[in-house]
Amino acid sequence: MRVAGKKVPVIAAAIVAAAIVVVVASAMMGSGTAPAADVARDDIPPPYPDRVYGGIDTSNGSPILGDPSAPVTIVEFGDYQCHFCEIWHSQTLPPLVDDFISTGKVKLVFVDFAFLGRDSPGAAQASHCAGDQDMYWKYHDVLYESQQSKIDGGWASPANLRGFAVQAGLDIDTFNECMSSKKYAERVSFNTQTGAGHGVEATPTFFVVGDSGDPVMIPGAQPYGTFIRVINSLG
Amino acid sequence: MLRMVFSDARFSAMAAAVFAVLVFALLLMSEYIFLEPYLAGHVPRGGELGLALIVLIAAMSAVAIPANVYRVVMLDRPGRKMGGGIAGSALGTAAGACSCGPVGFAVISTFGAAGATATAFLTEYELPLRIASACILALTLATTHRSLSAECRIRPSA
Repeated sequence: MRVAGKKVPVIAAAIVAAAIVVVVASAMMGSGTAPAADVARDDIPPPYPDRVYGGIDTSNGSPILGDPSAPVTIVEFGDYQCHFCEIWHSQTLPPLVDDFISTGKVKLVFVDFAFLGRDSPGAAQASHCAGDQDMYWKYHDVLYESQQSKIDGGWASPANLRGFAVQAGLDIDTFNECMSSKKYAERVSFNTQTGAGHGVEATPTFFVVGDSGDPVMIPGAQPYGTFIRVINSLG
Repeated sequence: MLRMVFSDARFSAMAAAVFAVLVFALLLMSEYIFLEPYLAGHVPRGGELGLALIVLIAAMSAVAIPANVYRVVMLDRPGRKMGGGIAGSALGTAAGACSCGPVGFAVISTFGAAGATATAFLTEYELPLRIASACILALTLATTHRSLSAECRIRPSA
């Protein structure tokens, strides 16, 4: 009996030890993609100066998805490596687009909250480089559709980001030049700091802003029904 | 023998409390339920297995932990065999600490790259870790049941 009783903690300890080994090995080996030098350029003016919703500065965020004059605005803080962001993008956003964004009732702005791993800022910068060619949302969709479960597992490596650019139909030379210049590193960093300043502690986090200007925070990949309730409460 | 444990209302109440706390915490951390701006719950496509494992782990913990407490308190046995139940519950809980969520954010903010690596591991292997957690709890339950059967047996007087 004594031997059987000792097996449980031994097995638990073995699993915990194995987990630690995997974590340490993963940290030491990395994903095979060296992080680019963090040389940010701060001489790029914000593309949407003075664009503020509910006190949230989105001047460095995405282009507006939907009608710019829509009375309700959803500001999404997200990370391209976040699994729950992908769930929201694939399961909740489509009915929101059909019922509210396409009908001119709601507009969406995506703001980078690139915190999950070393490939997160690069993916966010790539989306802005795609924006230079008026393909921000196309590239945004390609990134989420291409997401793999392992954070920093290489799916958002610089080489793959170039592949996604080709897949989205971007001019690859222009895209490469943009990525090499790191011209949007500061923009992504600014956006992440903006989110932190507004209490974002998870991705995705949404702020829904109506005519009153008071933002309603929706933390997490919440179901479509929650968005309907919040949007209707603002209307 | 487990029936004997839960015939005592205190241990039944403990089981109910452990189940309620664990299932609530796990569902919250894994974004099956939300508290704000409204109380809401949903199971995203592909999340069915994760939900089933959460309920299973919470139920197994709710049996394993009171049964081991019963051994320690009522039978005055050493507490080291509780390790399996606690380890299994902890592993199942940690596996739900998604790096996208507030727990992951706090870990990454505090520990930087090492925290990011750890939470990424928990996210990547969430389902295998939960299955491992259920296996540990199953082993704990079997050991506890056998132990209680032996310790509570009425020996015939010589």
